[in-house]
Amino acid sequence: MIGISQDDDVATNEFRRQLATTFAVQRDPGFALSRAFDLSFVPSLFLLGRDGRVLRSHFGFDKSTLNEIAAQMGCTPVAEEFDGAPHSKPGCMSRHLEPRVDDESAPAPVIGSAHGVPASIVEIPDGEDPFEYCFQTFGDGLPVIPPTPERIAHMLNGASLERTEIIARVPPCYGEATVEKIAANAVMAGCVPDMMRVLLPLVRAVCDERLNIHGVQATTHFAAPLIIINGPIRNELRFAYRQNAFSNVARANSTLGRALQLILLNIGGARPDGIDMSTLGNPGKFSYCIAEHEEANPWEPFHVERGFNRQQSALTLFAAEAPHGISEHTARTPEQVLKSISYALATVWTYRLCLGSDALVVLSPEHALTIHRAGWSKQQAREFLFENTGVPLRAYEGAPDAEGSQMVTKFQEILIDGDRCYQKFRSPESIRIIVAGGTAGKFSAVIGGWVAGPRGSEMVTYPI
Amino acid sequence: MAGENSSTKIFFGRLSSLKGMKMSVKLINPMNETLVRVSVPPARLRNLEGKTIGLLDISKTGGNLFLDRLEQLLREQFQVASVVRTMKPTFAKPAPQVVIEQLRGADAVIEALAD
Repeated sequence: MIGISQDDDVATNEFRRQLATTFAVQRDPGFALSRAFDLSFVPSLFLLGRDGRVLRSHFGFDKSTLNEIAAQMGCTPVAEEFDGAPHSKPGCMSRHLEPRVDDESAPAPVIGSAHGVPASIVEIPDGEDPFEYCFQTFGDGLPVIPPTPERIAHMLNGASLERTEIIARVPPCYGEATVEKIAANAVMAGCVPDMMRVLLPLVRAVCDERLNIHGVQATTHFAAPLIIINGPIRNELRFAYRQNAFSNVARANSTLGRALQLILLNIGGARPDGIDMSTLGNPGKFSYCIAEHEEANPWEPFHVERGFNRQQSALTLFAAEAPHGISEHTARTPEQVLKSISYALATVWTYRLCLGSDALVVLSPEHALTIHRAGWSKQQAREFLFENTGVPLRAYEGAPDAEGSQMVTKFQEILIDGDRCYQKFRSPESIRIIVAGGTAGKFSAVIGGWVAGPRGSEMVTYPI
Repeated sequence: MAGENSSTKIFFGRLSSLKGMKMSVKLINPMNETLVRVSVPPARLRNLEGKTIGLLDISKTGGNLFLDRLEQLLREQFQVASVVRTMKPTFAKPAPQVVIEQLRGADAVIEALAD
């Protein structure tokens, strides 16, 4: 295997050092090799036969292709599905085709390294209270536990990776989240060392390009990443999913949600008085983590719906507004319960705008029971919500400038209870349903999302 | 600390009882320490005459209204040589390379956030 680098020696060697490459790398000054293979993009991959003929070529990055090539060479898969890297990326134009070559001497930015530099040591001036120092220097406006070397060593007992390994680069400043830096923020948040099992895949997931945390962290909107925990890990690490599912009831929920926010602040750099421009913010930016009450969910757990085995623990991230409550105590049929929820769903983002965002419905166990008792599946409930959530056409009369009014030509007209309406969501899949909360109380919640789909943010689920 | 007005000086005081206390005063830095390459911005333009101005619409509602008027002013009142117009596919994500490339060569770029 030979790597060909179009960069200069300094950048190439740095890249090799950080990736700890074991294969030979050849520089291509003047791009003679690049031209010989007539490539258009980097990265490009050529599989050569013993006679030097090109057996196969591929441009850009694609996990399926890499694994196919590995299989062709008799190797096990080389690209993991849930390592935080996207499934595929088109790559960039090759340097030898760039119209401007006069700045070729500028070193290329180093990307893709596996190891970062060790964290520096901060010395607190003599006599200063470490808690007060940390309060003022790091964090979220609440006291944090000082990240001493001893506490971090203890936290690292929960991780099997090397402390300088880079788990992800956290947008919007693309700070390197090494295992050690993640552990430091976990200490500050009050996590137990076992929580590193969840935190490492969580940091990968939050940096998954589909979630688009860059946009979520920089937007003026309310969005904050909501963590949903599923599977056996809920009980192993004592996540709360019964009463007060969204509240301050369990150390696991509170500290995991807080650790993620501290990582986004301290490593990602989206300070709430700086790059994070949210107009009103979101109380979830202190901590926003729930677990599904699978024991009270009459249907399959959420992570099973997302393609995982029931015994596989998983985490899901959704760019979410704060929960909006629906109190419905007297409805006795699925239709009536879901109708109450659909009226709340119709107001997501803003009443008149349809198709813009997705939503999460958090059903209380009592509401889920009412729907299930009548023989409804979760998918039926979802389709009912889809078909019954809309905005009446009359809402647009006399409001030509209102948000949504100028986009009605893109909306789908439907009849809801005889009323001509525009359908609120793009598809039933835009509405996700989970079950959480105490077994007493007929309260559910609707949580609006941010800009939906590939142009905004997509929900991601990662195994733990 | 986040949220405080930088012009306000808050006195947090010192706990005299902490002097000489035996507790760790060394911390592992939890902040971003990734080295970044700093680019020096080009010198500010002294005038717009004969210049190429890029206008970037981030694709929010109303961006075109603002940029249409701006283009008109640039051409009529400031005698710019040319105006390059381009648009991000979505305001929710950083501009892709292809959009950046379209603006390469402009003397200055004006970005319309709008709404």
